[in-house]
Amino acid sequence: MRLPDSVTGSFLVVLGAAAAYGGYILPPVPGQPVGPNVFPLVIGTGLALCGLAIVFGIGHSFEEEEELIPLEDGQAAAPPPQGKLQGKLYGLRALLPPALLLFYVFAADRLGFIITAAIMVYITSTALGAKLKLALPLAALSPFAVHLIFGKLLRVPLPAGLLPTPW
Amino acid sequence: MLKTLLDALALISTWEVIIAMFAASVYGLVIGSLPGLSATMATALLVPVTFYLSPIAAIATIVAASSMAIFSGDIPGALLRIPGTPASAAYADEAYAMTRKGQAELALGAGVWFSAVGGIAGVLSLMILAPPLAEIALSFSTFEYFWLALLGLMCATLVARSSPVKAIAGMFIGLLVSCIGIENPGGVPRFTFGITDLFGGIEPIPALVGVFAVAQVMRAMLTPEPPPLPRRKFGSIMAGQWKLTRKYHWQMTRGNIVGIIIGVLPGAGADMAAWVSYAMSKRFSKEKEKFGTGHVEGLVEAGASNNASIASGWVPSLLFGIPGDTIAAIAIGVLYMKGLNPGPTLFTEKASSMYAIYLMFIIANILMIPLGIAMIRVAAYILLAPRSTVMPIIMLCCAVGSFAIGNNMFGVVTVAAFGVIGYVMEANGYPVAAMVLGIVMGTMVEQAFVTSLIKSDGSVLPFFERPVAAILAAMAIGALLWPVMVWVWRKLKPAQTVAATTR
Repeated sequence: MRLPDSVTGSFLVVLGAAAAYGGYILPPVPGQPVGPNVFPLVIGTGLALCGLAIVFGIGHSFEEEEELIPLEDGQAAAPPPQGKLQGKLYGLRALLPPALLLFYVFAADRLGFIITAAIMVYITSTALGAKLKLALPLAALSPFAVHLIFGKLLRVPLPAGLLPTPW
Repeated sequence: MLKTLLDALALISTWEVIIAMFAASVYGLVIGSLPGLSATMATALLVPVTFYLSPIAAIATIVAASSMAIFSGDIPGALLRIPGTPASAAYADEAYAMTRKGQAELALGAGVWFSAVGGIAGVLSLMILAPPLAEIALSFSTFEYFWLALLGLMCATLVARSSPVKAIAGMFIGLLVSCIGIENPGGVPRFTFGITDLFGGIEPIPALVGVFAVAQVMRAMLTPEPPPLPRRKFGSIMAGQWKLTRKYHWQMTRGNIVGIIIGVLPGAGADMAAWVSYAMSKRFSKEKEKFGTGHVEGLVEAGASNNASIASGWVPSLLFGIPGDTIAAIAIGVLYMKGLNPGPTLFTEKASSMYAIYLMFIIANILMIPLGIAMIRVAAYILLAPRSTVMPIIMLCCAVGSFAIGNNMFGVVTVAAFGVIGYVMEANGYPVAAMVLGIVMGTMVEQAFVTSLIKSDGSVLPFFERPVAAILAAMAIGALLWPVMVWVWRKLKPAQTVAATTR
């Protein structure tokens, strides 16, 4: 997800301008010179200016390149990420966690906490390279443990859904 | 004074506090020792649990977990050369070199011992600095608060190990996030796009959980698994630490002081303290050539420094609600929820609670020694847990925890969104800590800014008229111009050297 500075900078310019405009069109408070519109205006302008500076590469010289730890003898070299083989789609794996959280939002009320959580755990765990014999028991047990702590002990109203817990 | 102290003792000597503290310590040690799970993340995931505890027990968990996690990050740093938390990154190489020389006990012992000493030094600074500052702060008007907040935000951008422009941009993004909702001077829905859930604004805590926990799981998806820890037998861990203390007492004190200063600066936390102290130790050492080959001196100074910053980070947090680091940013959220709203009056009205916080910090740092030693001995087993079992549980805790904050599914959406934002920002060199500071401080900055503008009635003068305001203004503007000056200086310097050689 490393994007060129010109892309992120331009995005900030657009975001800043939109924020400033959004602030500008807010209705003023009658009889009060300064209202809710001033702060977004200031911030939006500042953000847009920062974006411009980033597009033009100002301040880039301050950035420290990530220090790579040199390998020493006796220390196994890290296996090269498989991304090279699987092409560009590999990078999309990073979106899996937020996608699973959204899945939780939509599914938890219908399926219930235990089932939704088990699906989440199973997918995350296999995506990180767990074998079936590790991922399955984990997916079966961890939702109950979390439910015990949050649902039972801390009384968070977790949805029961299709499969209510025994307690 | 004595009565407050006794009240404070009574506050913390309940079973709830003791159990909470012990459990949080173990939790902090485990999370801190797992590479990729930071102290901030440990604290953020604790927040939903703190809802259900009494105020003092809630703070106890945060104090204990954060102190322990910062130390325990040293363990995989020394044994695997993979820092458990960013705060240990500065000296992981050095500690690993010591392990290779067969001095793992000394390296880890120094980690435990000087962390505890540093932590206690940090508490002392909190005890000494906070009350007099509170006296001064009582006379602050919105002008002073405005400049103070601006100074805090600028500090955070100055110390970021990144481009200052990107840091400032990150801060603006955070402030923009804090604009969302109807809690503004006009009480009108702002940037809500007609979504009812956004009317209440973005809660800082789910945003923090997203930025620090979900983004980390996202990164784990793309990085290879760290190697397992080789099992080894340890000799005496504390042996020789007293000798080190005597030999390097000056380095230790310097580390403590630097850590305290960096902790007090808003936005700069333990990782910054460790980097600065390690560099300082190397710069002033008599045996510079030994650095990098497994020399304990830098470890002493940086270890003393990063734990000192944890407690001193609470100074601006308790006084002004300006977080000294990202952990304190979370702590502020908890303080508000528990009715201990940060501000100078906290030290007069809730003095016993403040004393309780000091005491808990001291206890946590003393407890760190036995628990830390135990942790070092069992670390090999804990580090056996593969990432594919830890990360799914973290995901579940993110989902349930963010739901629990408001019993509202929108919290989960916030966590997911900020996970993506945090991930993208980090990947492109935008410091996340600056954004976090913006989110936490946004409402306060706006309030101080708008109230000041209304009071000044269009004139700029009142912003500088009061003496304290003028000083703070000068500092804030100086902080703003500093990167510009450095930039100009760097542009000029090559020109000068060229001129000198041609002459």
